[in-house]
Amino acid sequence: MSVQIEFDTSWQEEFFKRIDSDGPWGNWELYKLAIEVENHTTIPEFEGLQAPEHLPNLTPLPHQLEVAKQVVENMNGKAILADEVGLGKTIEAGLILKEYMIRGLVKKVLILVPASLVSQWAIELNSKFFIPAIAQKKSYVWEQCDVVVSSIDTAKRNPHRDIINNLDYDLIIIDEAHKLKNNKTKNYEFVQGLKKKFCLLLTATPIQNRISEIFNLVSLLKPGHLGNEAAFYEKYKKDTRSLDDHDHLKELVNKVMIRNRRADTGIEWTKRHVETIPIEFSEKERALYDAVSAIRSDETMSSSQFSIMTLQREACSSREAVYYTLRNMLTKQENPSAQFQGSIQRLVSMVEAVDKNSKAEKALELIQKIDDKVIIFTEYRSTQLYLQWYLKQHGITSVPFRGGFKRGKKDWMRELFQKHAQVLIATEAGGEGINLQFCNHMINFDLPWNPMRLEQRIGRVHRLGQEKDVMIYNFAIKDTVEEHILKLLHEKIHLFEKVVGELDDILTKLEFGNIEDHLLDIFGKSSSEGEMKIKMDNLTSMIQFAEDMKEGNIHAAT
Amino acid sequence: MQQHEIHRFLVKYFQANECDIIEQGPGFLRVQLTIELDKELMNRPFYWHYLEKTGGIPNPMQLTLITNKMLAPKNMQGEVIHFGSPRLHQIFQSARSLAGYIRLYENHHHQNGTQIPLRPWLGMNVRISYQCDRKKDIFKSIGLQLINGQMIENFHDRLLTMNLTPKIPDYSFTLSPIIMPKSGMTRVAGFLQNSILQEDHTWADEARERWNKDLDLLEHFYEDEEEKADSYEIEKKALQEQYEPKISISMVNGGLFYLTDHAVS
Repeated sequence: MSVQIEFDTSWQEEFFKRIDSDGPWGNWELYKLAIEVENHTTIPEFEGLQAPEHLPNLTPLPHQLEVAKQVVENMNGKAILADEVGLGKTIEAGLILKEYMIRGLVKKVLILVPASLVSQWAIELNSKFFIPAIAQKKSYVWEQCDVVVSSIDTAKRNPHRDIINNLDYDLIIIDEAHKLKNNKTKNYEFVQGLKKKFCLLLTATPIQNRISEIFNLVSLLKPGHLGNEAAFYEKYKKDTRSLDDHDHLKELVNKVMIRNRRADTGIEWTKRHVETIPIEFSEKERALYDAVSAIRSDETMSSSQFSIMTLQREACSSREAVYYTLRNMLTKQENPSAQFQGSIQRLVSMVEAVDKNSKAEKALELIQKIDDKVIIFTEYRSTQLYLQWYLKQHGITSVPFRGGFKRGKKDWMRELFQKHAQVLIATEAGGEGINLQFCNHMINFDLPWNPMRLEQRIGRVHRLGQEKDVMIYNFAIKDTVEEHILKLLHEKIHLFEKVVGELDDILTKLEFGNIEDHLLDIFGKSSSEGEMKIKMDNLTSMIQFAEDMKEGNIHAAT
Repeated sequence: MQQHEIHRFLVKYFQANECDIIEQGPGFLRVQLTIELDKELMNRPFYWHYLEKTGGIPNPMQLTLITNKMLAPKNMQGEVIHFGSPRLHQIFQSARSLAGYIRLYENHHHQNGTQIPLRPWLGMNVRISYQCDRKKDIFKSIGLQLINGQMIENFHDRLLTMNLTPKIPDYSFTLSPIIMPKSGMTRVAGFLQNSILQEDHTWADEARERWNKDLDLLEHFYEDEEEKADSYEIEKKALQEQYEPKISISMVNGGLFYLTDHAVS
C-alpha cells in the first residue's frame, strides 16, 4: 500500500537565492556539527523509550518506565493511568509527554488538574522533565504557549472555553479524572469536545463506585471501546459494583487502563505506626455530649438522626463545632417554636459552660513531645479555627489548610508549613491534592466516617518520597460514638495497617452500598447498646468476608 | 550522547563561531560570546535594540557551562548541560540554522603548472520521518554529480575524508554544471521517493488497521444517534491525525561541492 510522501521544499528557495548572490555560505565546522546533531537526535526505531536519556535528574522506577512504554507502544497513546495513590502517576505522565515531545509527535499540550495542583504540575514538568509548561494565568497563554497547565473550572469558562475549543491539541492530560465519572456534567461535556490526538486520564480510584463510571471514563478516552451506551447497559447492569463479575468487560477495560499496586512494585515502603490515644472528657464536656445525645428522645427537637449524629461527633471535636451547628439549626427553622428555641438555648449554655478542650490539651502535649512537623486533620472548620488559636496561645506556629483555598494560597500555605510553621491544620476538603511527604507525623483529631477519606488523609504523607516511618495518632474520646467508630476502623477492619488502595479493592467488593450509611444506621437507629453491637459485628463480618474473598481470588489466580 | 561528547561538541561549536574560550577544565568551560552569538543564544532583543538606539558599547555575555558536575570545581556557578537540557537543544538548533547552506572546494595537492578541473556536486542531507501514532527517523546523505548525474549515498562520510576549503584553491578551475541545481534536487527527491517505495511498509498497514479499528468503535458508539453530535466529527478527525501514516522528507543542510575527478570513484 502506498504511503503519502511529503518533500519539504522550503530549503531550496533559499539555496537558489544564495547561488545567485554567491553566498553567504555556512562554516564547514558548523555544517559538520549540524550533522553530528542530526545523528544524535534521529530516532531510528519506532519502539523504545528515549525520554530517560534526556532526564538525568530523574530516576524513574521500573513500574513507571513500564507504564510509559506500554502506553506509547501498545495503547497508542490513549490510556487511563490508574496506579494506586502515591506510586507516581505524575512521573508516568511526564515520561510519556517527554517521549512524545522528543520524537516530535506532540507539541501542543493541555494539562487539566485540580486548582490546588496547577503550580505543582508546572514546576515538576519544568524541573524534572525540562518541559516548559506554563501555569495558565492570562487568556493569551492558551494560544501562545505550547504546554499549558490549568484547572478544568477555569478552562471550561469563557473566554477560555471558546479559545480552547478552537485549538487542536496533540496531547491532553487530565489529573484526578475520576471527577469526570458523570457524563451529564458540564466538565464532562467540555472534555468530550476537546480536540485531542493522544490522551492520558489519571486517577487513583477508577472504580470507586459504579460500573457506569468506568463506562463514562473510557468513552471519553476511546468512544465505542465499551460499546455504545444502550448496548453497554443492556449487557451490564448500571449499578453493578464490581468489574470482576464480568471477565470480558475487565479485559476490555484493561486494554485502555494500567493499574499498578503497591505490592506489585517491589518498592520498600516506610513503615506506618498507628497509635490510638484514648482521651477522657472533662465533666462539663461529658455533660454536653450527654445532652446532645439526649436530643433523640426530645420530641420538640424532632431532628433527623443525621444532625444528632453530627452533634455527637462535633461534641467529640470541639465546643465551637457544636455551637456552630446549633446556631444553624436555629436559623434554618422559619418560625422556631418557643420550646425549640428553649432547647437550643439550653444546649448553647452547656456549650458555654465547657471551659477546656481535653483533646486540644492532649494534642498540644503530643506536638511538644514530637518536636517536629505535625499535620492535624479535623472534620470541622470551627475546630480548625479554635486549634489555631489554641496552639498560638502556647507558642506553636500553625497554618490552616482548606479545600476552598485558591491555588496560590494553597501553595503558599504548604510552603509556609514546610519552611516556617510546625503544624498544619487541615480540614477534610483540604486533604486532597496536596503532597506533604516532608512531614511524617499525623494526628487524626477526629475521624471521618468514610474510610476512603481517611485513606486519602494518610496518602498525603505516606507516599513515594516519604523517607521516614509514618506516625499516625488517632484521638478518640472514651465512651462515645467516636470510640466505636475507631474500634471498627482500626481493630475490626484493620484500616490503618492496610496499604493505600487495598481498602478500595475491598469496598468495591461489597455490594451493600455506602459504608457511611451503615454507620449512620448503626449508631443512629439502634435502640440499645446490644443492638448496636450486633449490627456492628454484622458489618465487620461482611467486610471481612469481602476481604477473604479477595484473598481467595489471589490464591485462585496463582 | 555522553557527557564528554557534549563537552567536545560545545567546544567545537563555540570555536566555529569564533568565541573565545576563556577557561576550560574537566567538566566545565567558560566562553566569551561574540555579539552575534549573544543575539543567537541569550534571548535579550530589548538589550540589543536599546544599545543600537543609544549607541552604547556592546557587552556580550559570558557563559559558564558545566558538562560534568562531578569533575567541575565545587561551588562553580553555571548552567549544567546534559542531553535533555533546553540550552543544548537551543545550540543544536542554532548549529542547524547557522550552517544550512554551504559551498566548498577540494583542496588538492596540485602539481606545478597543471590546472586541475573540479566537478560540481550537489550534496543533500535529509531526515526522513516515518510517522503514524509512532515515529522514527532516518538520516540520509546523497551526493549528485552535476555533470554526469552520478548519484551516491553516504556522501557526507566521503566528504569527511577530504580536505575542503571555502576558497577555490590555486591551479584549479570549476566545470560548469550540465544539470542545474534545481533539476538536481528534483532527481534526488525522485531517487529518495523511489527508494522509500521499495521499503517494507508493514508499519503503515498496521497503523491503518489500528485506525480502522478505532473508527469502527466510533461508528458503533454513535450509531443510535440520527444526527451525530459534534464530538463525533471531532473524534473522527483526531483519529486521522493520530494514525494516518505519513512520510516526510526534510532538509538538514546541503550545498555545492567542487571535487577532483578521483575524489569520488
